[in-house]
Amino acid sequence: MAIEITKDEINAVYPTVAETMADALGCDVDDIKLDVSLIEGLDAESIDFLDMVFRLERAFKIKIPRGKIIDNARGALSEAEFEQKGVLTPTGLAQLRSYLSEIPAERFADPMKVKDIPRLFTPETFCKLVVQAQRDAKAAA
Amino acid sequence: MTDNAAHFAAFSFVDRITDFVPGKSARGTFHVPADIAAFPACLVAEAVGQLAAWVSMEHIDYRGRPVAALAFETRFLGAVAPGDTLQLNVEIDSVDDGAVSYRGWADVNGTRVIELNDCLGPMLPVAEFDAPEALREHFALLRGAGAQPDRFHGVVDPEVTVVEHLPGQSMRAALHIPTTATFFADHFPRRPVFPATLLLNAQIGLAGTLAREANAGEATTEWVPARMTHVKMRAFITPGQEVDSRAEFTGTQDGLTRIALSARNADGKTIATARVEFAAAGA
Repeated sequence: MAIEITKDEINAVYPTVAETMADALGCDVDDIKLDVSLIEGLDAESIDFLDMVFRLERAFKIKIPRGKIIDNARGALSEAEFEQKGVLTPTGLAQLRSYLSEIPAERFADPMKVKDIPRLFTPETFCKLVVQAQRDAKAAA
Repeated sequence: MTDNAAHFAAFSFVDRITDFVPGKSARGTFHVPADIAAFPACLVAEAVGQLAAWVSMEHIDYRGRPVAALAFETRFLGAVAPGDTLQLNVEIDSVDDGAVSYRGWADVNGTRVIELNDCLGPMLPVAEFDAPEALREHFALLRGAGAQPDRFHGVVDPEVTVVEHLPGQSMRAALHIPTTATFFADHFPRRPVFPATLLLNAQIGLAGTLAREANAGEATTEWVPARMTHVKMRAFITPGQEVDSRAEFTGTQDGLTRIALSARNADGKTIATARVEFAAAGA
């Protein structure tokens, strides 16, 4: 099930997310657009994702467990329902499309490998991650 | 030194782990042999990082080992001389099979010489680098009687050829990574990797030249690294590789001279970045 996150919630965290990403990627903050692909548009590598998550945790004083985006995308599905041998099941792919609703449909491969999911990530994906972590923290308090 | 003798010797900077809270924190010692020429600050940082590596590897039962990747801030607070004994401390923020994040510091005779804040090392499969059983055994030794003292005999810096130099502004140099060196047998036995800390040490050397030149009009002539930030290692450096190393003066603020560092491989891919700040010696 898609997480309902409003545009207002995304806009509230976006300036800090953009600054954090620019610092991590060594680029100008103006290069960070909400819908740019981090890997294909900004040459981000796996170490950059670690770096961004580490910085976002500190900037927003939240905890983001590693692999959280894919966990969030999987939602209530079991691992076997979500993927088989590293490839998303039809149900898993539908769930991913729903979770990453900001990503244009043509960017999803079919079939899609789990290891290729990060290619879809944009700054908006990370804004949603931050908003969700803030909600989790509030719920736990 | 044979390869076997070099393991846990040629590039290992923890002698004993004196206090240990699994997955949380550790204290340890390293005695810098009196007969080596120098023990640069980057090796002190390496010692702190190695203590964190022991805590994290033990915590995940030697399935993975962390590699140097991100260090948000390293503060260089004092020099370490041959003959000194480092008191090493680490506090683990989080550790799992994916990565370890930690902070740490080292003291000599009760005086802080280095602080590392917000460091993160991704875990890679330990068996690619070393024998898990050998690591387990060595950890037991460090927790018990301790490793043999004075087993470290120094490291040879990579040969540096300056290829471009705008005094006080920028410098570009080729670092010729040796094809053989005793530390490769320790770092790491199954997969030799040029230590990130030795790359940073060489780059600090270039940056120091720029810092002196940028402050040529000042009364002080000796400039020392005070703080290093934004260290990010993107790829391993292998024996025999040539590294295109660059240093660029980016400004002066609050008495600190700032230099941006980067390193690229032969394909032009950025493999490391960092920023370093120099202060007048004694400031």
